Parts: sequence; C-alpha cells; structure tokens
Amino acid sequence: MAGIGFLCFATVKIRKAVITAAGRDQRRLPLQSLVDRDGQSKSALTILLEEVLHAGIEEIGLVIAPGDQAAFAAAAGPHVNRIQFIEQSKPLGYGHAVLCAHPFTGSEPFLLLVGDHLYVANGQKSCARQLIDIASAEACAVSAVQPTHESLLPHYGAVGARRLVGQAGLYQVDRVLEKPTPTVAEQKLIVPGLRAGHYLCFFGMHALTPGVMDILKDMVGQGGGAHLSDALAKTAGSERYLACELQGRRYDIGVKYGLLTAQLALALNGQDRDEVLTQLVELLAQTSRGVA
Amino acid sequence: MASKLVQLITSPDPAVRNQSLDAVCRAASVTELLAECAELEAFRHRSENLYERVRALLFLYAIHRFHLPLKPGVHARTLISFSGYTHLLQRRFEEAVATFLKAQAADGPSDPISSALAVAYYRLALQTLADQVRRSVRSVRGNQWMFRMGHPADHPLRIRPELLKRSDEDGTYPILRERTPVRMDLTHCGWSDIFFLGMDYPEGAKVLNISIDLGVHGRDSATRPPVETYLRVLDEPVLRLTSVDLGATADITNLADVFDFAKDYLGLLKAAVIAGGIVPPGVEGSGQSLADLLARVVGPGRGLELVSSVNGIPKGSRLAVSTNLLASMISLCMRATGQASSLHGSLQEDERRLVLARAILGEWLGGSGGGWQDSGGVWPGMKLIEGVLAAEGDPEFGVSRGRLMPQHRILTHEDASPALRQKLQDSLVLVHGGMAQNVGPILEMVSEKYLLRSEAEWKARLSMLAILDEILAGLKREDVAALGAATTRNFFGPIQTIIPWATNLFTETIINRVKTDFGKDFLGFWMLGGMSGGGMGFIFDPAKKAAGQTRLQEVMTQTKREFEYSLPFAMEPVVYDFAINEKGTWADLLHGKSALLPPGYYALIMPPLLRQDARALPPLHRAEMDKFAAACRSKPELRGMVQTLFDRLLPRLKTDDTSDESLPALLERYGFDRAQHEQVRADLKSGRIGLAQNRLSVSTQIQDVTEGDVFDATHELPKKYLEAGMAALAAGEVAVVTLAAGAGSRWTQGAGTVKALHPFCKFGGRHRTFLEVHLAKSRRISRIGGVPLPHVITTSYISHQPTEAFLAREKFYGYSGPLVLSEGRTVGLRLIPMERDLRFSWEEMPQQMLDEQQQKVRDSLRHALIGWAQQAGEAGDYTDNVPLQCLHPVGHWFEIPNLLRNGTLARLLEQRPNLKHLMLHNIDTVGADVDPAMLGLHITLGGGLSFEVITRRIEDRGGGLARVNGQPRIVEGLAMPREEEEFALSYYNSMTSWINLDRLLAVFQLTRADLADAGKVADAVRALAARMPTYITLKDVKKRWGHGQEDVYPVAQFEKLWSDMTVLPEMNSRFIVVPRRRGQQLKDQSQLDGWLRDGSAAHVESLCEW
Repeated sequence: MAGIGFLCFATVKIRKAVITAAGRDQRRLPLQSLVDRDGQSKSALTILLEEVLHAGIEEIGLVIAPGDQAAFAAAAGPHVNRIQFIEQSKPLGYGHAVLCAHPFTGSEPFLLLVGDHLYVANGQKSCARQLIDIASAEACAVSAVQPTHESLLPHYGAVGARRLVGQAGLYQVDRVLEKPTPTVAEQKLIVPGLRAGHYLCFFGMHALTPGVMDILKDMVGQGGGAHLSDALAKTAGSERYLACELQGRRYDIGVKYGLLTAQLALALNGQDRDEVLTQLVELLAQTSRGVA
Repeated sequence: MASKLVQLITSPDPAVRNQSLDAVCRAASVTELLAECAELEAFRHRSENLYERVRALLFLYAIHRFHLPLKPGVHARTLISFSGYTHLLQRRFEEAVATFLKAQAADGPSDPISSALAVAYYRLALQTLADQVRRSVRSVRGNQWMFRMGHPADHPLRIRPELLKRSDEDGTYPILRERTPVRMDLTHCGWSDIFFLGMDYPEGAKVLNISIDLGVHGRDSATRPPVETYLRVLDEPVLRLTSVDLGATADITNLADVFDFAKDYLGLLKAAVIAGGIVPPGVEGSGQSLADLLARVVGPGRGLELVSSVNGIPKGSRLAVSTNLLASMISLCMRATGQASSLHGSLQEDERRLVLARAILGEWLGGSGGGWQDSGGVWPGMKLIEGVLAAEGDPEFGVSRGRLMPQHRILTHEDASPALRQKLQDSLVLVHGGMAQNVGPILEMVSEKYLLRSEAEWKARLSMLAILDEILAGLKREDVAALGAATTRNFFGPIQTIIPWATNLFTETIINRVKTDFGKDFLGFWMLGGMSGGGMGFIFDPAKKAAGQTRLQEVMTQTKREFEYSLPFAMEPVVYDFAINEKGTWADLLHGKSALLPPGYYALIMPPLLRQDARALPPLHRAEMDKFAAACRSKPELRGMVQTLFDRLLPRLKTDDTSDESLPALLERYGFDRAQHEQVRADLKSGRIGLAQNRLSVSTQIQDVTEGDVFDATHELPKKYLEAGMAALAAGEVAVVTLAAGAGSRWTQGAGTVKALHPFCKFGGRHRTFLEVHLAKSRRISRIGGVPLPHVITTSYISHQPTEAFLAREKFYGYSGPLVLSEGRTVGLRLIPMERDLRFSWEEMPQQMLDEQQQKVRDSLRHALIGWAQQAGEAGDYTDNVPLQCLHPVGHWFEIPNLLRNGTLARLLEQRPNLKHLMLHNIDTVGADVDPAMLGLHITLGGGLSFEVITRRIEDRGGGLARVNGQPRIVEGLAMPREEEEFALSYYNSMTSWINLDRLLAVFQLTRADLADAGKVADAVRALAARMPTYITLKDVKKRWGHGQEDVYPVAQFEKLWSDMTVLPEMNSRFIVVPRRRGQQLKDQSQLDGWLRDGSAAHVESLCEW
C-alpha cells in the first residue's frame, strides 16, 4: 500500500478533486451568495470551485444528496461543465460520501474538500495550490491542518503528529481521531510546539491517495458507518501520511455567523478592503453611539 | 563538617540512605545536633529534589521532637513567640520556622522552641508532599484541560447522542447505569499505597487488590456490585443529584453550589461531576451560569440527573466504598460525554487509569483522600498494583523517584487459578466490626516513619514485602491456609511495629474468641484499610465458613456490647457475603420500561410528586410515574414499594418515649436543675454569657509568674520531702481522686464514650485502660507506702454505670485498696449554640487554617452549621440525638463538692480518719501518681491547694499559670482577655492538684462533722458555686444515623472549672513545676505515637505495677 501511495504522487499529478456537499445540515450552504475577493457576487460553491480550478485541478466530483443537482448546477455558474455530479443515495456518513466518489477518482490521487468551508490564503498562492504542491513534493497523502483550541474539538477531526525536522509546518501523522474530547486529545494528540490546549485539527482539505478509498471500501463492507477519520487513522498506519499547516485560514460557513465571518475575511483580503473597512468603522462608531 | 544526616538523604548507596536517623542522633551532643540542624536547614533550601527537601524537613522535625529536648543543657523554660504561632495557624510555615530559629539563636536551644520548630517542620513537610500530589494530579494528561476551561462557551464536551434519544414508548430519556464492585486489600502491605510513599519508594509500593461484590449476610439474598450509579438527561436546566443511601436530593441551579461540598450530603456526587469534567474545576468562581454550561454540554434547556446507591453498605467498611462510588460516577460522566469510548460494558485500560486519576482529583476536591489502590473496583478480578519508577516524559520525572499513578497487573489464572478463587470465597469471612475510625492520623504517621527510616519500622516494611511474595506464592499453590498464616503474621508483626495503633482491644478480643471457638479451623486474620475494628477478614477452613459467619456475628455483637462505652462504635457489627467480581466496573444503557432507577430513589422522589396535582406535573414526570407504577406491578425487586410509599406519605405518629432511657427520665434521674438551665438560656440569649463573655476584662493585667511564685520540682527533690511523704502515706493521710466524669470529647470527637475505660495503649503486652493505669500506679504506691491507697473515681451520668459494670467485670483490676466511685450529682442539658458564639469561635478566635481545599470544605460546613443553629432555634434545648448525647457534665469543679454531697468523703473518712490530703488529677494525666516526695512537698509548702504545672510547649493551649492583677493563679484559656497573652506565660496547668482536706472544708465553711448534714453541705456547695465563674463552651457531639453515618454538631454547654479555686485567697494555693512526663495530658489520640516514642509511655509504665 505504501508503495502505491508513493507511486501515485511520484508519477501522477493531482488532477481530480472531490467536494462533499451531501450532508443533511450542509446541503444549502454552498448555494449561499457572497462577494468574492474580486468584488464579484458568487455562490460559495463557485468560490470553492475557483479555488480548486486555479490550483490546477481538471475534474471535480461533487457529492450531493439526491435531488440537489439542479440547484448545485445553477450555483456552479460557468464551471458547471467541469463538474461530475455524484449522488449519495443514503446518508451513511462522511466516509461513505467520500467513497461514493471512488468511481470518479479511480486509481488516481485526489484533492478532497468539504463543501461548507471557504479558504482564504494569506498570499497569492491559494490554499488548495499550497496543499497540492506539498503533496506532490512529499509524494504522499497530506491533510491540511490548523492549530485549534480545545473548545472547538467537538467540530473537527484531529491528528496526533510529530514535526518533521527542518520542514516548517509539516508533520508526520501518527494518529487520527474524529471529534475527540480534550480528555482523549491530551493523552493521544499532544503535538510538541503547539500552545497549551491547542491541537492540529483538520482544515477541511486533504490530498489523498487511492489507498484511502480502498480502506473506506473495506470499512463500509464490514457494515456500519465509515468515518473518514478512521480511514485516515488506518492510512497513518499503512503509508506515509503527513499533515501540513497552510498559509491561510478556513472558514466554516455552517456555524453561527460563519457565513458573515467568511464574507468579512474574503472582503478584507480582496480589492474592496478599504471600502469594507470604512463601512465597518462607521458601523462600529454608530453602534457605539447607540450604546452610549 | 560534612553532615552525616545530609549524607543519609543524598547517598546513592541504599545501605547509607536507609540508615535510621535515631541511631545517628542518639550519640550526638547538643552542639553536634544543632550543627546538623543548621546543615539540614541549608540543605533543604538548596536542594531542588522534592523528596530530599521533605526528608530533611522530617529529620528536622524528629530532632526537635525526639532528640534535642532530651539532651542536657537544653532549657526547659522559654516563651514561644505569638507571631510564630500565628504564622503556623495561617500555614505560613517557612515564616514560622524563621521566627522560631531566630528565637533559638537568641536564647539558645530550649524545649518550648523545639516543640514549636517540630510542629512547623512537620506541617511544612506534609504540606510540601500534599502540594506535589496536587500538582501531579493536575498534570496527569487528560486532566489538564479541566483546569484551563473557565467559561461555558469553551466547554469542549458534548453529551452522547444516544442519551438524548427518547423512548418511543413513553418519551422518557434512557438511563446510563454503571455498576462497580468495591475493593478488598488482601495483603495489607504497610499502607504502601499512600501517594507519598509510592512516589519515593515505588519498589516498595505493592498491593494485592481484589474487586468484590457484596451482600449483608442474612439481609441480602445474593451478592452484587455494591456501587450503582445512574445518569440521565433532564428537560430542565438543572443538575439533579440524589444519594439514595443518604436520603438526600438537590436540584442545583447555581454554579457556585456545585463547588459547595459540605452544604448537603451530596459532596461526593458534586466532586464526581467536577472530576468527571461535566463542571470542570476551572470554572469554579467564574460567576458563570450553570444553565449555560449545561446548555453547551447537554443542549439548551436541558440538564442532567445523577443518582448514587451503595445498597446499604455501611460507611467505614474499609472496602473503599466511597472511592469506588466516586470512581463509578466519574466513569459514568466520562462515558456520557465521550471521554470513554463505550456506553456499554467495561472500560479500556487507559480509561480506567484516567478514572483513577480523576478519582484522586475528586477526593482532593472533597477534602479527603485515600490511597491509590482505592479505585481498585474499577479493574476486574484480582490484581497486583505496584508503584512505578518515573521515567523521562512523566510529569514526575526529576521531581520524585516514582510516578503518582501505579500500574495494575491483573492476575491470570496461572497466578491465581479458578479453583483458588473459589477456595478464597469459601474461606474468607468479611466483617465490619462497627468501630468508628479516623485513619487520617495513621496515614500521616506512616509517611513520617517511612521518611525517617526508623530502624524497627524500616525492617518491618521490608519484611512486609517478603510476606506479599509469600502470599502470591501461596495463591499460586492454591494454599489458603498459608495465606491465612501470612496475613495473621503480618497483622501481629510488621503492621503493629509500624503503627501500634492499628490494633485495639476490641479486635484482639474477637480474634482470641474466634481462635478459641474454632481452633485449627480458624486459619487467619487480616486487617483491611488503615486500622482494625471496622472492616476485617477472618479465614476459616471452607467446611466451617458458614459456622464462622454465624459465630462471628455473635462474637462481634457480644464484644461490642462489652466495649461500647470504652471504644467509639458507629454501628452494629455486620457480616458480609462476598464474591470476586471478574468484570470490574460495567455499564449498561437502559431504555424504555427497563430504564428504572434504584427502588430507594423512588421512595425518596415519589412522595412529593404524589402530593401534587398530576395534571400540574410536567409530562416527563408523569411518564416517569406511569413507568414506575407499571414496574411496581410487574417487577419482583419492587415488591413492597407500595407499603414504603404509604409509610412515607402517611408517617406514623411520633409518641413521646416514656421508657427509663428517655430524655425527661434521664434528666429526672440525674438531678437536672431546670431553673438553673432556664437562667443559663436566658443569659445566653441576652448576651450576658457567651464565649466572648468568658473572658476576663481587657483591663486585667496578665503577667508571667516570677521565680518565687513557683517551686521547681523538675529535679530530684531533697530527701526531707520524701520522708515527709512516706510518713503521710504510712499514716493513711492521702487518697487519690481521679476525675472520670467527662465524655472525653476530643479523644473520640464527641462519640460519647467513657474515656476512663478506653484501652488506649499496650503496657506489659496488654491493652490497658486509663483506669487500669491509674490503679496500677496506686498499687505501686500502696506497696511503697505500706498502706493501701484509697482511690476515688468521680463519675457522671455518662460514665457511672459503665464504669461500675466495667470494673466489676474486670474484678476491679485486683486493686486491694479502697476503690470508690463518686457519682455525679449535676447534669446539664445541651443547647443549640448561638450564631454569635459560633462566629466568635470560628471567626474571632485564632484558627488553624487547613489546606486550601479542606479549608473550603470546612468553611462550607460551618456555613451550613450556622444555618442549622438559626433554623433549629438558637439557645433552644438540644434534643435531636440519643438522650445521653443531649446531656452534658457541668465541669470538673463540681466533682469535689460531689464527694461532699454524695457521702463519699464522709465514708472515706470513716474508714481513714487520718485522711488529710487528696491528690486530684485528670483521667488523661497518665504520669501523675502519689509520688511520696511530691506529697511531702505539698505538705511542707502548707497551702490549701498545691497545683502542679509544667513548662509550656506549643501544643499546650488553654491558659496557664499567671499573675492576674499581681495575684498568682491558674487562668483558663477561655478566660484569657487576649489570645497573645497566653504566650507570655511560661507554665501550663497539668490539672493535678494536691488538696489539704481541712483547708478545703474550711473554704466551704464546713467541718468534718458537718459532712453528715446533707442540707448544710448542699447550702455550702451552692454558696461557693455562686462565687465560681461559669463558662460557656462549644463541644462537638456526634449524631449517628443511617448505615454508619456520623454528623458532628457544635453544641453549647456551661461549665465550672476546678482551677478557678486558685482565685480564692483563702485556699492559699501553691504552684509546683513538675517534669513534663508527670504533668502532660493525653487529650487527642494523635498524641499517642509521639508519647510512645519520646519515652513518656515507658516512664508511665515504670510507675505501674500490674
């Protein structure tokens, strides 16, 4: 398996991306409209699609719930032709949703993103591009991670890892746990160098080997639900698997004020930064007067 | 000079490191010891290793407590600074040490300053150890986050979704149930599970621990895991806690109340909720909302209910019921919030270890603490628990040799075969002897002795490890008889060498009786927990086990009856049935009709619900009632619930008890003075009397006495006094009066036993009561004087009948002289205290601060007790207890007048017309005897009273000898105008006084002939009593309830004290300074070990003839 993973990245570039948007609570989120960094009004899905397409991805598999295709096709705007819609017929968990894309990914490595997150890079290079570059350079599966406070652990998968010597922001993953309690995290997921009470939680973006699909397939075959985190935990035991901190932030648009925060982040990183800042200052001043 | 003692601490060579301190100190001179102390003091400041520092501190303690005071050239008399004492009370131990060392440097070494330094070093050592345990508990991975979390919005735990899924049948939430066995320590390996010990000497920390199910023999039809805990979601934003066994339930809506441990009986459940992470310790004092926190964890508008039950297993079983209850509930909280992976079945090993760490944390939060083996019930079957050397990566590495947390090795069938396990169950009889025990001081003693490496104790510890190996080998061979022999040898050998107080007469009597009854079929005894008398085990030939159980119940009950006034008992003895639990703690998720709480819960919760209009109840309550009603009709275990509920709803009418033992009958019998009582009450209510009013006026001048005010009898007295005393003895001029009317409140924390009858120490190979010791001294004096010495024992309502019966049973200890009981004629009725007095005692008087968490618990308890006093009615009669605990003796002043009133003195004078002097002493002044030279001195000094005093040590609190407005007299601590003035007094009252009989009668304005006139005597007593001050005091009194539960209440009572006779100029009192060994009193059982070790006990024995 390790050999397959290695070969995949060593010889084949990542051409395909899988975006999951079939979750019961996240089906409408990619359809929300926001103003992108370029000042254009777009759906969240479009912003996400542009993130991956600009990173060099050629084909996108969008995993959706039955009956959602029309709405997602409309939301995809000019990129609809690049999308292959994949229906998850039953809500059998996130791992299953990813597995539904197996025919689409075939034996190629792929980029995996969640449909309810938006990413804002600190520099010119998008988050997806950064991840693909690292995965290609390291020739193995890589998950993007972000140091996250323990109070947010109920929302994310988290990894236990060791820093790679001389490679800032890169970690060798030893373990993966889905939504761990801090009790467990403190025992199993401590990463030297992180601030107290912080753990490496998933960023919502992974560059994965086809071996992950095989593991998911085995897990689903054994009955019960399949969690991607469990599959990634197995991956850590069977092939080289890294985690990396990207130069950027993720924004979960599914949480309270998540869409607003994502919008502000896009605006403050885009061409309308000054205008938005001015409006914010005015808003603050008016609110302060109102309070006074 | 290279310090020998520092080498003992730092040497890498175990042969040097394990040398005894005593051996080195014994040969050293004062100068050498002081030099060693200076080296140790410097060493402890520079050492970075915890255990080096602690060992140095305990060495310093031991030198000042046991060695330096005995050396020639050390002053007996010096004043102890009040500021140093205040530092001690405030737990500023370093500052206290510095203050006392400065005094020592200025005035030279002295007994009082050494006593103060000993206390300061000892407490600093224990505090250092406790701080380290606390740090280690916090630093255990899995616990750290709970101390960081300070706001509900940051709460990282969520309830498991399975617990939110309501039943389709009735809409109720499922119940998560955890069943946990308790643990039995089969070997008793020298209390080696004390954290301090395991962290310094992990190689020696080993315990063979077995998880067991229990049943009370004759009550329960089968054994089962005694601990059951339950958790479920509520539709209200409250934390509902219920302890079925304590009959307590509370809806907590305020975050601060979760941390208020002593507010109700739910402290342990609260500690579990905190240590379980649901209300993490970090949110204490945050001022945040509990509802917000619950909303975050359980969901908006929701709450949690936790219920505990221990199936009526009595408290103090020494089977760690409370720790396993705590562990069970922590496990439950962890499972419910995903901190443990499974909602069903057993825990994984790393989860068990975390439960153990959390249980340690919970115990610390609740201000208690046991050893690390106590959560053993969480693990399955039989296991060897051992200390572990700290390695790199452990939080303890570089700090202590061992880890805080031990490792558990579950014994396989190769180590202990199924046949052996069956044999064990067929042979062991587990019992609870019923004694109330306080093992805290024992655990401190063990730590101290371990760290000092005292010779005999260290050898004993090493031999215990060999016994453990022997037991393990016996288990392998399936040889239960060998096991019995080893545990018995352990109990009578090493255990008692380390802690002589681990045994008692009650235990040894039972062992002897069982041995007599069963002969070879009795295979052995073993002690559970800190000391014997409570949880104990007896090993029989399997064929005799049933007979053993029956007989043990009889023997224990009979023996308890014989000793019930001598020793504190919390309950009737119990025999258990038990079975090894091979599963450990185990959880089930109960749904629908099966989701029932224990029957006792419904008995507690249903009556108030039934009294309400069913239509007004929330739907969930109605569903719960329907489910319970259906279960009552169908489930056999709920048979009888209808009657239980009926009795709760319509309680039987209480009728006044008119038996002989009722309170009114007792008051009548013991001459209760209702008018005086009402006067005391009125004065107390109006503020004319009270704790603050006990004090002399602030303008009173209190000074230390001068050289001329006392006669120094600390050295051998001139021969003339001996001759005068011998002559008086031979002429039959003296008698002894032993004060034995009091309840000895401090001795047994208000248990209401008779201190005189307490078999407190072994002399000549046997346990001896205080009374026997006093009679043994009189026997010796009788022989020396050639005339049997009359011995009078004063008694009271509480002590008369038990003393009379006890002496008769013991055939008066073979005492050949006149032995008379003088029965008390006065009794008081205790009162509920005034809030004013409680606050004065707790807030105005200097108080010993406790360790941080214990202090919090104590403050919470005191707040609750003030609430109790207000609610019960200040200055009201205290009647909510067994009648004898409601009465009180009225102070020892009355006991001499009682001799006059009850005819004892008249009869004595008839027998001994030459009688001229009485030696009066307290029951606990065990070194006092009718020393002929002292008697001669008293006669020669010619006073009406000769009071014996001793030089003051730091523990001697409560007044002393003073010049009061220029007049030497004894001042009680209660009467001191200012606390600090006591520290300006060199001498402490030993309460031993010599009385010139005719001078005393003259003070009463009586003659010997008047003693026949009861009326005249009564008038004389009343007249003198009126001149004596009345003190209001607060005493602790125990109230027993439930299964071995005890509450301690402070109650108010009044007293008149004998030492105030020194105020009367016509008594012409004299004051004699006597050696400490003669004058010290044993007030607290924690004094016993030091008293035994410093040679005082040997001195007392030298005064006795058995």
